[in-house]
Amino acid sequence: MDFYTSLQAVVNGLLTGGLYALVGMGMALIFGVMRIVNFAHGAFMMLGMYAAYVLFTHGHLIPYVSFPIVALLMYAVGHLTYMGLLRPIHGQSDFMQILLTLGIGLALTDGIQLVFGADYHQINFPLLSRNFHLGTHLTVSAPWVVSFGIALVVGAGLYFFVMHTMIGRAARAIAQNRNAAPLMGIHLHRVQAFWFGLGVAAAAVAGALLLPVFYLYPGVGDQFTLKAFVMVVLGGMESIVGAAMAGLLLGVVENLTSLYWGNEWALAVDFVIFILVLSLRPSGIFGRQKA
Amino acid sequence: MKRWQLALALAGFVMSLLVPLVVTSDYQLQVLFRIYLFAALGLAWNLVGGYAGQLSLGHAAYFGAGAYGLALFTRLGFPMWAVLALLVLLAMLFALLIGGVSFRLRGPYFALATIAFAEVVHAAAKNLPSVTGGDVGVQVPALFHSNVNRSFYLCAVILTAITTVVTVLISRSRFGYYLMAIREDQDTALAVGVNASRVKLYSLLLSAAFTALAGALYGSLFLFIVPDQVLSIDISNEIAIVAMLGGAGTLTGPMVGAVVLESASEIFKSVFQEAHLLIYGLLLIVVVLFLPEGIVGSAEGMLRRRKK
Repeated sequence: MDFYTSLQAVVNGLLTGGLYALVGMGMALIFGVMRIVNFAHGAFMMLGMYAAYVLFTHGHLIPYVSFPIVALLMYAVGHLTYMGLLRPIHGQSDFMQILLTLGIGLALTDGIQLVFGADYHQINFPLLSRNFHLGTHLTVSAPWVVSFGIALVVGAGLYFFVMHTMIGRAARAIAQNRNAAPLMGIHLHRVQAFWFGLGVAAAAVAGALLLPVFYLYPGVGDQFTLKAFVMVVLGGMESIVGAAMAGLLLGVVENLTSLYWGNEWALAVDFVIFILVLSLRPSGIFGRQKA
Repeated sequence: MKRWQLALALAGFVMSLLVPLVVTSDYQLQVLFRIYLFAALGLAWNLVGGYAGQLSLGHAAYFGAGAYGLALFTRLGFPMWAVLALLVLLAMLFALLIGGVSFRLRGPYFALATIAFAEVVHAAAKNLPSVTGGDVGVQVPALFHSNVNRSFYLCAVILTAITTVVTVLISRSRFGYYLMAIREDQDTALAVGVNASRVKLYSLLLSAAFTALAGALYGSLFLFIVPDQVLSIDISNEIAIVAMLGGAGTLTGPMVGAVVLESASEIFKSVFQEAHLLIYGLLLIVVVLFLPEGIVGSAEGMLRRRKK
C-alpha cells in the first residue's frame, strides 16, 4: 500500500472525524460537563437525520440549508426530554440515568422503525457526485467537504458559546462543583436543560450533515452513542475541544484501520483504544492529569 | 428462608416440570422456554448487577461465548461434558479479562467498558471467519434429537432452578453480604476490609458461567448462529432489562421480569410485527420513573409500608 493511499485515508478520516467531533462535542456538554450519562445520544443523532430526511423529501430543503431547522427542532426535543424525564430522577444514581436514557434510545429507534420502516434511505442532489482534486493523487468528495466545513463552523460557534456567555459560564461552574453552583444563584435545572438541549442539537446537526453521505436507517445512530462516550473520555471529560480532537483522531484511526485490516475492525479498534485509555490514563489523552 | 417459601418454590419447580404434559404446542413451549431462559439469565446477571450493584451491559459476550463455544468445541471433537466445561471456561476467561480491567472503574465507566469489551468480542466473531464462520455464521450441534421443544424447555427450567438455588445460597452467605456492602457503599466496604475487586470478580465469574450455559442452550435451539444474533448489544440489554424490570437484587425479580417482558414482547410482536424493542424502551422508562426498585422491589416496599 503506497504512501498516497494512506494519505488519502488520513484525509478521508479527518473529514469523517469532523462530523464525529460534533457528535462528541454534544456528548462532552451532556456527559462531560453536566454528568448526565446519555445512552440516547446516537438515537438523537438518528432522529436529526430523519428530520433532515423529511425536510428534504417533503420540503425540498437540502441538509446544508435545513440544518438550522433540525437544530431548533432537536433542541426542543432535548429540552423537553430533560424537563420531562431526566429532571424527575435528578440526584439518583448513574445506574438509573443509564437505564432511562437506554430506554429512551430504544424507544426512539424502534418508534422511528415503526413509522418509517426498517428500509435504507438515501437522498440525492447534484452536489453529491462532485469531487475535488488536490494535486494529482488526492481526491475528496464535495459533500464531505461541505459537511466538514459546516461542522467546523457549528463546532467553533458552540465553543465560543460555552466559553464567552453567561449560561456557558454557568455550565462550567456546574462542572466544577455541582453543589456550590446553585448556591451562587445558578438555576441548576434551567442551565442543565439548556445544555442538554444544545448537546442533543449538536448531535442532530451532525446527523443532518451525515445524511448526504450515509445510508439512513433506524439503527444508524447506535454505534455513535458509544463512540461519543469514547470521544469524551479520550478528550478528558470536561473539555469540548478535547472531545472534538478525539473525534478527528477516531476518524483517522477508523479510516486507516479499514484500509489495512478491513471495515469491520474499525469500530473494534475504537473500543480497544477506549478500554486502554480507561485503564491506563483515565483522564484522557487530551485531558490534564489530575492528582 | 421460611418454610412456606421453600414449599412454594418447590411446588413451582415441580409444576414447571409438569407443564409439558399440558402444553404441547411447539410455539407455546418455545415462548415458555424463552421465559425460563431469560429468567435464568436475569438471575445470573443479578449476581453482578443486582447484588453487587455493578451495571454490566456486556453480558452478550458471555452469552455468545456459550453459543459459539458449543459450536466450536464440538467441531474440535471434544465429548459433550468437556464441551460444556470448556464453554463455561471460555466465558469465565472473558469475565476475567473484562473484570480485571473494568472493576477498577466506577459508575458509568464500568458500564461503558463492559459494552466496549462485548463489542470487541462481537467484532472479532465477525472478522475471524476461519474460526467463527464470520458473518455467515456457524452450525451448532443439536443437544436433543427427539422431543426437541420439550427437552429445551425442561433444560431451561432446570437452569433457572439451579441459578435460583445459587442465588439463595449466595444472598445468605458472607460472600453475598460482601456484594451488598459493595453495592451500598464501596468505600465503606473497602474500609472494613472487604476485598472489593476480588469479590466483584468472583460474582462476575459465576454470572458469566451461568450466562454461557444459557447461551449454549439458546444457540443449540436455533442450530445455526450468526454474530449479530448472540453477541449483539440487544442481548446484553435484554438480560439487564429483565432483571431491572423485575427488581435488581431480589430473588424473584428476574423471574417476574422475564414473564412480563417476554409476554409483552410476544403480544407486541403479533400486533406490530417489527419494532418489538419499542416495548423494551417504554418499559425501561416506566420502571425508572415509577418503579425504581423494579416490580418485585416496589411491591415489597409497599407491603412493608402497609404493615407499619
